[in-house]
Amino acid sequence: MSRLLPLFLLVLFAVAPLNAVEISRSLVRIEATSQEPNYKSPWSPGDVSSGVGAGFVVAGKRIMTNAHVVSNARFLTVFKEGDPNPYIAKVLHIAHDCDLALLSIDNPEFFKDTLPLDFGGIPEIESVVSAYGYPVGGTRLSVTRGIVSRIDFQIYSHSGMDSHLAIQIDAAINPGNSGGPVMQNGKVVGVAFQGYSGDVAQNVGYMIPTPVIHRFLKDVEDGRYDRYVDLALTYSNLFNPAARRALGLDGDNSGVVVSSVYSGGASDGIVSPGDVILKIDGHTVSSDGTIPLLNEAVPLDEVVERKFKGEKVKLDILRDGKPTTLIVPLNAPWPFKLQSHLYDEKPCFVVFGGLVFQPADQNFMEAYDPSDQRLNYLFDYFVSDEIHLARPEIVVLSNILPDPVNAYAEEFRFSVVDEVNGHPIKTLEDIVKAFDEQTDYYVIQFAGGGRPIVLDRKAVDEARPRILARYAVTSEKNLEK
Amino acid sequence: MKAISLQRILWVALLFLCPLWVASAIADTAPGASDASLSQSLLRVNSTNQVYEFFQPWIKKPPFSRRGIGALLDGGRILVTAELVANSTFIEIEKPAGTQKSSAVVERIDYQCNLAVLRPVDLAFLEGMKPLDLNGPLRVGDEATVLQLEPNGDIARTLGRITSISVGSYPAESGSFLLFKLGAPLQQRDGSFTLPAINKGRLIGMVMRYDLRNQSADIVPTAVIRHFLQGLDSPAYPGFGRLGISFAQLRDPQLRRFIGLQEPGGIYVTDLAPRGPASIAGIKKRDVILAVDGLPIDQDGNYEDPDYGRILFSHLTNTVKYPGDVLPFKILRDGKILEIPVTMQAANREDSIIDEHLFDEPPKYVILGGLVFMELSRPYLKEWGSKWTSNAPQRLVYYDVFQNELPADRGRIVILSQVLPTSDTIGYQDLDNIVVTKLNGRSVKSLADLSEAAKQPVDGFQKIEFEEDPKLLILDAASIEAHAETLKEHYAIPSLERL
Repeated sequence: MSRLLPLFLLVLFAVAPLNAVEISRSLVRIEATSQEPNYKSPWSPGDVSSGVGAGFVVAGKRIMTNAHVVSNARFLTVFKEGDPNPYIAKVLHIAHDCDLALLSIDNPEFFKDTLPLDFGGIPEIESVVSAYGYPVGGTRLSVTRGIVSRIDFQIYSHSGMDSHLAIQIDAAINPGNSGGPVMQNGKVVGVAFQGYSGDVAQNVGYMIPTPVIHRFLKDVEDGRYDRYVDLALTYSNLFNPAARRALGLDGDNSGVVVSSVYSGGASDGIVSPGDVILKIDGHTVSSDGTIPLLNEAVPLDEVVERKFKGEKVKLDILRDGKPTTLIVPLNAPWPFKLQSHLYDEKPCFVVFGGLVFQPADQNFMEAYDPSDQRLNYLFDYFVSDEIHLARPEIVVLSNILPDPVNAYAEEFRFSVVDEVNGHPIKTLEDIVKAFDEQTDYYVIQFAGGGRPIVLDRKAVDEARPRILARYAVTSEKNLEK
Repeated sequence: MKAISLQRILWVALLFLCPLWVASAIADTAPGASDASLSQSLLRVNSTNQVYEFFQPWIKKPPFSRRGIGALLDGGRILVTAELVANSTFIEIEKPAGTQKSSAVVERIDYQCNLAVLRPVDLAFLEGMKPLDLNGPLRVGDEATVLQLEPNGDIARTLGRITSISVGSYPAESGSFLLFKLGAPLQQRDGSFTLPAINKGRLIGMVMRYDLRNQSADIVPTAVIRHFLQGLDSPAYPGFGRLGISFAQLRDPQLRRFIGLQEPGGIYVTDLAPRGPASIAGIKKRDVILAVDGLPIDQDGNYEDPDYGRILFSHLTNTVKYPGDVLPFKILRDGKILEIPVTMQAANREDSIIDEHLFDEPPKYVILGGLVFMELSRPYLKEWGSKWTSNAPQRLVYYDVFQNELPADRGRIVILSQVLPTSDTIGYQDLDNIVVTKLNGRSVKSLADLSEAAKQPVDGFQKIEFEEDPKLLILDAASIEAHAETLKEHYAIPSLERL
């Protein structure tokens, strides 16, 4: 199965033209100018590009759209139907893990004739929905109609790591319409956000359903977005009769067994591998890991999905054959973030003697696509092998700006730094400190033991201005995200 | 799903399917090389080979045949490349004109150096034939003639020149040996998997690879052949030594100054095989090797060989010297010069965590209820095709790549290769390629351990622990036993265990 398509996808199916007239008072077209940092030359501000998306007015004089419409935005203008004036917008809140954002407009005149839309529930399978937005093929409002095909967990491709509930609709999806509302009976039942390309599947579009939207709106009530929380554990099915007997389970169909509990995560020290989860917040867990909710069998994770940082979840478990109740206070474990696409962050780097050091994250790995197996191992198993405990950042020699001082360094490209002058390098900051030391030689030792790179301090000092000028490097380091 | 390696087959295809082009055979006019006398030294060798299917280790893949030309040596031995007869089930030898056939058996085979000697089942078959002599060392620029056979038994000669002499990697990827490259426009001819190359009527080596685009043949030279033939009449084969070090070049003047290296040359030891001769002798990471056996080593790791000039010093340690020979190493450590004697030693398979190749032997396996367990090996990984390093399950690839860094007592890597769905493995059928750590509480460091531990179920259950999710699998021991025969029948497995 191939990946979800680029993000600018949208679906539109109109129920009745009557509605469309009303909704045109709520719908906006968003023009975004964004600047995406270039991880291959991290000191440069990056290329400027522009895109178009949709949005709609919600209560509180705010505009809702997709996070990917306004990610890395430098300048945003919003247009409403029947008003030729552009209004300058700002990002109020942005949630990259569920691809939603709220915008504000400086000019209070903007909201004068607008109509904030209300949210509905989860539409029934096979019921008709209408999608509104500004797809390619014209600049005016477009309305399309489809039915609800499926309600399921999906990976949200904006972050690439998070999966939440999503509703599949059978409308064609086109670039330029992300962030537009999907309506049923005059209420918003979803925000269109992604789909498959025509090469992969026909008429498969997805919208963000209202439970995810409500969660986002509630999360930002305190003025900031705290991200999704996670149990940070994995579990396995319990279909096997022998396994059920061995774990002391009776003939019914409930329970899943915990496989791994990630250190630093919410369940660390509370849940243990081998525990059988029987109930989560009172919902009986089936042997395939689902619970009955929304008239459907959904993964037990949905219970956690609706909670917030600091809230608790109750697990009824069987440990060594004995029933116990565990309370897990929820948080958002940071190591997972390493493997998400990052937005609105500046790349961190250090240039020293023409050697460029960067911490490996998803954006870095996508930009370089390094084939070094050790680097790939450390990155891929950062969470599952708990690499992050010893190495909160994977500091990589990412690039070499050729100069006599580094003439023999090329073979170390994409090697992971272990030590500089005997100081362990666990973060990019460590390497900055090590290079600040006054010493005759800087000895850079890489993971896996090979030979070190040795830099003569005098040679580095001499090379410094030369390298910066020759390669138009505007700054020698950035440690701020 | 699971791809099958075509690498080896492709090479054969390249040899045989290359377009015909016009090239006149150039006569080797040197004395003692007349067609009639050369014909008496060549034999067609047709080998039928069959390899195991690693994803179903109880069956063999369909047989395929490889055809090449062997060189007759003293004592009725026929020299061929190991690849020609690897995994052979039947070897046929044939006189050049195809008038007589007989069969042969492998007398000695070494996959590392890619050589094998065959012995005819009936020695009388060789009557009237004349063995070839081995030539001495050649230099770059010297001429050599590759011999092929026409269907009627005539010899087709292709003259070429040695374009390079260096230490290079051999097909088994388990060691580097001296390698000649011969620029020669070889024609497409049947039976060219292995070809002898001569100079003035004497054997200079065996062609083991041909690069069609560059018209360049890779030749196993006599220096390697002589080592391989050593002690042929004694039962003990010394084999080739393997030093067991990785090193880095020492070109960077900043690094040379930092480690206080005044002398020219020297290489930097970066890694040591845990039980290799260098490690046993006490050579350490970060040592600088300055000289071996009195011969200075330059900053790239070369020494001056009296026969072949500037080549990698592993030729000296592995090929010129034999296991058991003691070589003094001149080492710079912490600013002091040391002399460390290293006793060369052949690579010991017991020392390796992951087998590099499994020729002529069936892969081991244990089937428990429907869970198929194997020891991780390079041929297993290679079932994912030529791009196995990116296509095979990454954790297994990392085990292979970083095996030197595993603890010395790690033992073999036992994996759950796949799950054959049965009533005992319900819920487990999606699992594959995960590493086993324990069975019934006993640690598993080989398939034999696993088989042994399976005999001691805990409370009537087989409890298998893994490094990765799902971490623990539980099977009903009695039920497995009861269903063993049905399992064999359903999946046509002759035996549930092969150790």
